[in-house]
Amino acid sequence: MDRRTFIIQSGGAVGSLILIGCGNNSGGSGDVQQPAATGQAAKAAEGKTRVVFWSSWSSSSGEALQKFADDFNASQNEIFVDNQYQGTYEETAQKLATALAARQVPDMASLSEVTWNKFFLNDSLQDLTGYFTETKLDPKDYVESLINEGTKDGKIWWVPFARSTPLFYYNRDMFKKAGLPDRGPKTWDELREWGKDLMGKGGAKKVFAFTNAKNYNAWHFQGNVWQWGGAYSDEDFNILIDEGKAVEAGEWLRKFVHEDKMGYMAEDQSVDFGNGLCAVTQQSTGSLGGIVETAKFEVGTAMLPEQEKFGCPTGGAGLGILASASDERKRAAFEFIRFLAKPENAASWAKTTGYMPVTQSARESKEMQDYFKENPNYKVAVEQLPKTQPQDTARLLIPNGDQTIGTGLERILVNNTPAQEAFKNVATQLEDDAKEVKESA
Amino acid sequence: MAIQYALLLLTALVFVVPLFWMATASLKGLQEIYTFPPVWIPTQPKWENYPNAWNAAPFARFYVNTLITTFFGVGLEIVNAALTAYALVFLRFPGKNLIFIVLLTALMIPVQVTILPNYLTIAALGWLNTYQGIILPGASVAFTAFLLRQHFLTLPTEILEAARLEGAGHLQLLWRIVLPLSRPVLVTGILISVVAKWNDFLWPLIVTNRLNMRVLPIGLSYLFDREGNNQWGIIMAATIFVVMPIVILFVWAQRHIISGLIAGATKG
Repeated sequence: MDRRTFIIQSGGAVGSLILIGCGNNSGGSGDVQQPAATGQAAKAAEGKTRVVFWSSWSSSSGEALQKFADDFNASQNEIFVDNQYQGTYEETAQKLATALAARQVPDMASLSEVTWNKFFLNDSLQDLTGYFTETKLDPKDYVESLINEGTKDGKIWWVPFARSTPLFYYNRDMFKKAGLPDRGPKTWDELREWGKDLMGKGGAKKVFAFTNAKNYNAWHFQGNVWQWGGAYSDEDFNILIDEGKAVEAGEWLRKFVHEDKMGYMAEDQSVDFGNGLCAVTQQSTGSLGGIVETAKFEVGTAMLPEQEKFGCPTGGAGLGILASASDERKRAAFEFIRFLAKPENAASWAKTTGYMPVTQSARESKEMQDYFKENPNYKVAVEQLPKTQPQDTARLLIPNGDQTIGTGLERILVNNTPAQEAFKNVATQLEDDAKEVKESA
Repeated sequence: MAIQYALLLLTALVFVVPLFWMATASLKGLQEIYTFPPVWIPTQPKWENYPNAWNAAPFARFYVNTLITTFFGVGLEIVNAALTAYALVFLRFPGKNLIFIVLLTALMIPVQVTILPNYLTIAALGWLNTYQGIILPGASVAFTAFLLRQHFLTLPTEILEAARLEGAGHLQLLWRIVLPLSRPVLVTGILISVVAKWNDFLWPLIVTNRLNMRVLPIGLSYLFDREGNNQWGIIMAATIFVVMPIVILFVWAQRHIISGLIAGATKG
């Protein structure tokens, strides 16, 4: 099954599991166990504090993470980190919710920008502020916008680790042919002006590939809404997507697609862009490596265009420690977080995986600076990072919010539905789904 | 005739093209997979995709695990279903209809609903990360029992009567008469069950935490990149060796389904 359909289908199940989970989970109580260790891990952990870490990275990123765990375990003899891969972010969240209900809970888990909120809201996460002070790990070393996202009421609950953002990609060969400067457009209106040249002299079939709900178009459009000066919703779950500026952004999109005929909805914008069907697109920073590998032309990257102002959301995952673990294991888990935050480790993780370096010290390290020189496209992504902000509650916290907004966008992109009408429906649905969260929050 | 063949060809294409694409993509590099118009035959076959896939995760171990869980899972499921169906068709006992209705109801419960209660039970038994933990919740499947029951109903009662007069007990009747007469349906039931167990992803994922207890479908997920930056050639190569045993089993078993169907038809 395709990862994304799985996420969509399991989304509902995760929600209900979490609701079941929160009834009997008052963090920190006595009879919560660690998932049992078997085989070699048990032997290696003998006489040490064993930290069970549920993670979500496979493939080359998974190997890189395992190497960190091995290095950490070899570097001292008090703590043993048992890194256990648990599937995608959503699958990990589902497992964690089930595990909380069964009281067999890991000590530490990777949680996405969406899922961590749910565990925070049902009091399953540990406040880490004290550990930061105790171990003299400076929270200010983390990129401000990223550490702030995991901070609520002045306390740190969720530590940045594998973060990505949307990035603007353009076909440099086409730009040259169209006689355009070698840079991204400053505003969306500028892109529209360039559109004629790109489709004429440049030879592009279309200017810009948007994408569908399955491919997280609501994540990408989050940036657009802010750029126009609007929002999906505010902190208190008031839905704003059907008002003023957000609708203007949607209308711009509609005209760009249906009147200017410059934009369209792609199944996978990376594939279309790589094949030169469109001149520019927006995709995750994490896709940079893949796009450069498959494109048959010079790829350029730029910060997202502005309209009234700059706006760019963050994505990816961070690390949380479970409140139910014993004090000793929580401390041990935090030691591993500290280890991962060392400049050389954070830099090497970013280089291997394509995620953003999450600390200032990693970004300034010689290793990272050299890497920037070799990969100017990646440097653009990192320069954009301090200007990013956490997403609106409508997409993060309202059940199925991402897909509700995404489907509304599809109506605009495909059916030429006026933005006001499409977003009105979205808003009604979001308000309905928000009730559940408002009650539990 | 021509139209019939055309339709047949179309249906065949719908099923074969994805398999063909999977097989050829397993020998391609990323650029050749993504290119448009599509390249049907890889220009320079990348055979190294196969060893790369095999070594990306402990697939030998996953194979052993999947063989164990599938073999015992299917065995238990079929034995269970045959006994249930036999009782529902050939035995007379109070509440039989009620039990059948409960069975039908069980058909309608989505798997996701049972995951949490099953997990709690398995966790309480201390069976997380064990074979029995993966296998047992799937040991009784309403659909298989239903499938067999529907077929048992069509068997001529005279043969059973005759055997009973000869002094055959229930288990003998089931083993010697009912099951041999039900071969095509039995093979179908086994195939459906094998495919379901072999491909099961969610339950084994939930009930195991450790690498050495994982099964093949989870093994495939070890090859996926979280940000969609996937090496499809390697993933397709792994998919080939994950589905191959099932394909072979199908080709081998379809003989039995067809010969069984024909045997039934001529007798009628």
